[in-house]
Amino acid sequence: MEKAQERFAVETLSLSKTYSGKAAVDHLNMKVREGAIYGFIGRNGAGKSTTLKMLCGLAKPTGGDIRLFGKPAGDVYTARRIGCLIETAGLYPQMTARQNLVMKAKCIGLPDEKSVDEALDITGLTDTGSKKTKHFSMGMKQRLGIALALLGNPDLLILDEPINGLDPEGTREVRKLLLSLNEEGKTLIISSHILGELNKISTHYGIIKEGRLVEQIDAESLERNCKDYFQIEVDDSRHALPVISENLPGVQAEVLDVHRIRLYHLEDSARLNQILVEKGIQVYASGFHHMDLEEYFLDRMAGMAADDQKAS
Amino acid sequence: MFNLLRMDLYRMKRSKSVYVCFFTMLAVIFLCYLLVYLLGTPEGRKVADRIGMLTVYDSEGHVVSDPEMKMVMMEEGEDLLEDANLLEMFRDSDMRGGLHNILFGIAVALFVCGDYKGGSMKNIMALHRNRWPYIGSKLIAVGILDFLYLVLGFGFNCLMNLLFGNMLPFGSWGDILFYLAWIWPVTMAFAALIIALCVFTRSITIGVLGAVLGGSGLAVMMVSTFLGYFHLNGWVKYTLYHAINNGPSSYASPEDLRCLAIGLVFLVVYSVVSIVLLIRQDI
Repeated sequence: MEKAQERFAVETLSLSKTYSGKAAVDHLNMKVREGAIYGFIGRNGAGKSTTLKMLCGLAKPTGGDIRLFGKPAGDVYTARRIGCLIETAGLYPQMTARQNLVMKAKCIGLPDEKSVDEALDITGLTDTGSKKTKHFSMGMKQRLGIALALLGNPDLLILDEPINGLDPEGTREVRKLLLSLNEEGKTLIISSHILGELNKISTHYGIIKEGRLVEQIDAESLERNCKDYFQIEVDDSRHALPVISENLPGVQAEVLDVHRIRLYHLEDSARLNQILVEKGIQVYASGFHHMDLEEYFLDRMAGMAADDQKAS
Repeated sequence: MFNLLRMDLYRMKRSKSVYVCFFTMLAVIFLCYLLVYLLGTPEGRKVADRIGMLTVYDSEGHVVSDPEMKMVMMEEGEDLLEDANLLEMFRDSDMRGGLHNILFGIAVALFVCGDYKGGSMKNIMALHRNRWPYIGSKLIAVGILDFLYLVLGFGFNCLMNLLFGNMLPFGSWGDILFYLAWIWPVTMAFAALIIALCVFTRSITIGVLGAVLGGSGLAVMMVSTFLGYFHLNGWVKYTLYHAINNGPSSYASPEDLRCLAIGLVFLVVYSVVSIVLLIRQDI
């Protein structure tokens, strides 16, 4: 069982890509376990799409190595095990949904059109009939993009912003679809800016910044790291901080700015409020919070920016 | 590669531009026949006179107004079709002016750039990591299209000839087959050039412009005129445009195969260029 967990769908070793001397992806070491839903997170221009393109064989790495299911990325048969949706769905606008899928089926070499009907059914596009895809809404195009990626029953799905442009109902449907695909045993790599959605389905995360993978973490560890904290808003945090340190020695304090302080491991919030009021410090707001993925991501980014500043 | 070819043929069959270009070609061929009929045959000249399209001059340059005199002069008029046959008419209407190459080139440009336009190229290349089958499939697909344009275009010429009263003799089957056999690879080489242009620029505009400038011979003429000032235009006879315009209509000696050789060399060169460009590019 343990050995099975160590099988990786994707492994990159010092993967790099430079454009005109500038590194878009910089010595990236990424490991995606088979059967995982890997949320790939990063700001715009961080190198997410470039990394995914390299995994799909659409961009050539300038350095490093990619292994897919333990085999070199250039392997023709391994390429068949990957379905991808990179940036846009990649549709022929003059064709219907079905014709687009038939095209892809022929490209793969599928002998019949049964899988086309299945893909249409799974993504809820069966009723689109003779409507050309140029008349599709953004959400329908995205769903058709996922249907295209699903053709050929791939073991690894690489989806770049799959819920872009979807309405809440569409987002929920896609989320359910992705979870069911994962239950079937498919590995998913999903890049998205909608971190709340990623948070609902991902089993593992990779955070990329300026082409470097700064953290890979599984959902349990992330949950542990997303500590509960108590945040207070006071008139002057410089006065409040010594009072807290003196009276509540077990509490970790983090000053966010001149008014806000974040406190970890605080058990008695009523006592804290009482102490601060007694010491003449005005408390405008206070309350417990739980960090979500978005806050964690922003926190990591802010932390790294501070580290970079210190280093320079 | 054959999976890709099946995909390409499926799309080609459903591509509107392929039919628009083909029917535009047929329409121009029809106009050519109509003009030849009106100006090149006695019956046609009478019709042209009736609709006010023709003015008859006597030997001194005066306009002839007497109807009987006019009739005689029109019947005795210069026979424009004296040495012509169906193959020569096909070459004049379809090939020499660049009609076939321009319209076929536009169809090729729209077909190839269609993969880039909607981003479908990503779906294809993610599956086919060896890039050469993509070019191979495109070449075979446009080769089939080229063959159909040539054969159906010639068939339409036969039909028009019949419609306008068999004004041209059919000629020999051997000559027709010889001509179609060498013009096919030469025009395919032109298609390979358009594919290379489209792969390099990913632009429909550049592809179509290339088809118009290359197919009409404007590009060759411009470069040739410029290099002519330096007496460096001897290379023109080795161009595809020159081969298409001046190639033989019948086989007499091995020298007549030179156009075929030029076509094959360019076909290989442009195909290799397309493959190299595609391999070097990120999608």
